[in-house]
Amino acid sequence: MKYLNEYRDPALARRVIGQIRREATRRWVLMEVCGGQTHTIVRQGLDALLDGAVEMVHGPGCPVCVTPLEQIDRALALAARPDVVFTSFGDMLRVPGSDCDLHQIRARGGNVRIVYSPLDAVELARRTPDRHVVFFAVGFETTAPANAMAVWRARELGLDNFSVLVSHVTVPPAMTAILAASDNRVQGFLAAGHVCTVMGWTEYEPIAARFRVPIVVTGFEPLDILEGMLLAVRQLEEGRHEVENQYVRSVRRDGNQPAQELVSRVFELVDRSWRGIGAIPRSGLGVREEFARYDAERRFRLEGIRTTEPAECRAGDVLRGLLKPIDCPAFGTVCTPEHPLGAPMVSSEGACAAYYNYGRFRATLSV
Amino acid sequence: MCLGIPGKIVERHDDRGLPMGVVDFGGVRREVCLAYVADEVQVGDYAIVHVGFAISKVDEIEARRTYDALREMSRLDELDWMKDVADGAEAT
Amino acid sequence: MTVDTLAARGLVCPAPAAEAGRVQLGHGSGGKMSAALLAERFLPHLGNPTLAQLGDAAVLDVGDGVLALSTDTFVVQPLEFPGGNIGTLAVHGTLNDLVMMGARPRALSAGFVLEEGLPFDVLDRVVAAMGNAARAAGVVVATGDTKVVERGKADGLYVNTSGIGVVSPDFRPAPDRVRPGDAVLVSGPLGRHGIAVLAARGSIAFEVELESDSAYLGPLVERLREALGPDVHALRDPTRGGLASTLNEIAAASGVGVALREGTIPVPEAVAGACEMLGFDPLYVANEGVLAAFVPAARADDALAALRAHPLGREAALIGRVVADHPRMVVLETGIGGTRIVDLLPGDQLPRIC
Repeated sequence: MKYLNEYRDPALARRVIGQIRREATRRWVLMEVCGGQTHTIVRQGLDALLDGAVEMVHGPGCPVCVTPLEQIDRALALAARPDVVFTSFGDMLRVPGSDCDLHQIRARGGNVRIVYSPLDAVELARRTPDRHVVFFAVGFETTAPANAMAVWRARELGLDNFSVLVSHVTVPPAMTAILAASDNRVQGFLAAGHVCTVMGWTEYEPIAARFRVPIVVTGFEPLDILEGMLLAVRQLEEGRHEVENQYVRSVRRDGNQPAQELVSRVFELVDRSWRGIGAIPRSGLGVREEFARYDAERRFRLEGIRTTEPAECRAGDVLRGLLKPIDCPAFGTVCTPEHPLGAPMVSSEGACAAYYNYGRFRATLSV
Repeated sequence: MCLGIPGKIVERHDDRGLPMGVVDFGGVRREVCLAYVADEVQVGDYAIVHVGFAISKVDEIEARRTYDALREMSRLDELDWMKDVADGAEAT
Repeated sequence: MTVDTLAARGLVCPAPAAEAGRVQLGHGSGGKMSAALLAERFLPHLGNPTLAQLGDAAVLDVGDGVLALSTDTFVVQPLEFPGGNIGTLAVHGTLNDLVMMGARPRALSAGFVLEEGLPFDVLDRVVAAMGNAARAAGVVVATGDTKVVERGKADGLYVNTSGIGVVSPDFRPAPDRVRPGDAVLVSGPLGRHGIAVLAARGSIAFEVELESDSAYLGPLVERLREALGPDVHALRDPTRGGLASTLNEIAAASGVGVALREGTIPVPEAVAGACEMLGFDPLYVANEGVLAAFVPAARADDALAALRAHPLGREAALIGRVVADHPRMVVLETGIGGTRIVDLLPGDQLPRIC
């Protein structure tokens, strides 16, 4: 496939790996804040291949993983209602709430459907006027324009049977929180390419300056990730701390203006809790008052939600890069993809799942 | 939140005021909302598509530059290696 | 009495006038309607001397052989899709399970659960496909059964097929015969069935020019048998769960490890495109016309030549080897030189956004 396969060229990738190893005079700690990048890194075994030059710590780049437990429980409560058709991206289906997950709700008779696009949920609402369709609007800034358009479109079409349960989070406040923590080890960031396709990179300039860390806007294919790492390592070796753009084929400094405009029309910045990390001010999106009837939290009174986190789950430490999944006592024992304690083990982008599915044997294999 | 892939716009149309198109991903075709790239793209262009929305045009010139830069780096790498071999041969 | 009078009194006629073209509950009752269904909808497509006897059981003379027995139930939605229908799968699927064990199939049974309201023309296409597939494979549907359930209870139709075949001592592929050093081969490109059916289902709207690869693999296995005989250590067809699941099953059953090489595994561009869009891994997508073979490394070339000589095996490829390392695990070596585990998934692959 064009613009995909070229960036997977194995021979080129090996060369870039060699280049990184040549230029790094010590081991640098880099963080990627995007589940898709985590996926590529672990799937390709890049972290093992760069051992000694770069240590990758996997950040909270999985909106599924950071969706607060209360929100999952709200989703489950809505999905269990007989008058609701609950629609969601596939990623959310097996994320455990306090009691069960969406798969189990479906098994118990709840009407739960996977959609590929939020517009599919709107279309479903349009076609089935006698049911209320709720869409689980989860994601980072990349997905906000799509979710905003769904709300906008529902209003344009005059639908009264559509609402969104929002769990949107934004990246820069999370990066700031990580860098500001006293135990922070991260020396450079790979910024999420598609988040920046939408938002541009101006928000990262003050972060790079304040914390003196290089931030490289990076794509998702192996060559993108490797080039991003190389640029970051070069900055670190040269003592620079700038925002640089590796993903030039899709990202511009100001991002996608029409997308940003619609997002600000429909959503506003709110304080959000990140599962495993805690509350980060102005790090999330909420539905504006003008669109209140499309906000499932306001349309439905969701009371009596009591959330209980499993005590052994160390998702927070993993998401902040303080703990590698394989070093968590629960990893692979009480916590596996079949019976996950927390979201990073469930979501295919979660760091714990990535390690379990792709890399766990390296720890056990005596090489 | 990341899964955006490049596809070729093969058709454009309007769905009740919403700019839509058909995008081809290596032989798979899907309807995609073009509202966020409407003024930038035409049929034949490539776009990055995420959850049924085009979020950017693929800048083909920049894409070429990235790829060429990487290949250039690899070629230099080979020249270095050859030089090392030559130096080594001289030393013996 | 008129129909209106009957209805007004709350009575329903127990012997309804035939509603043109659909299965009714009466068809499952064992009476005249059942007999008519059998005579008009099944026998014309499946008819053979054994079935025509309509005995309680089919009596088959298989000599003194060792028998292989396999069963599979088919619930695919939609019932019809590019490349076949549920009937095509039902025959190919069970026959393939038999030939993977080295058996030569002899007969099938077919049990149907029909939903009240299923249009006859759909039923006809399904049963016709079964008849054609069975005949092409040289196998008879020797016995069968039909039940009808109320509207809403069966997704149109479900079908179970069981099959018997005869196994000879000189050809016994089995997972426990796999050895470290064996070559792992695949007979064709992956993922066509799963993606074709997903597209046909319409729950995630996309169009793709792909057909299910559903096929009877008997001829391919015969070629391998002729060329390699007992050197065919194991065979398996990667259906649901895809190649990854199949290789994991073999690894677990035989206690060996499997090492795959990325870049050697054939995946059609359209399957790759759909997988990219949905966030799927082609290794986990279902196939219905592909087999994986385990043969000694020294015989890999012969095996590939045998497969490639047949239309179904044109794109056969060597994709990996059996190793003593990482027992019971399947590991993929990437083009870059990295490695990753290819594990069993907990459940189905789900389209993802991350």
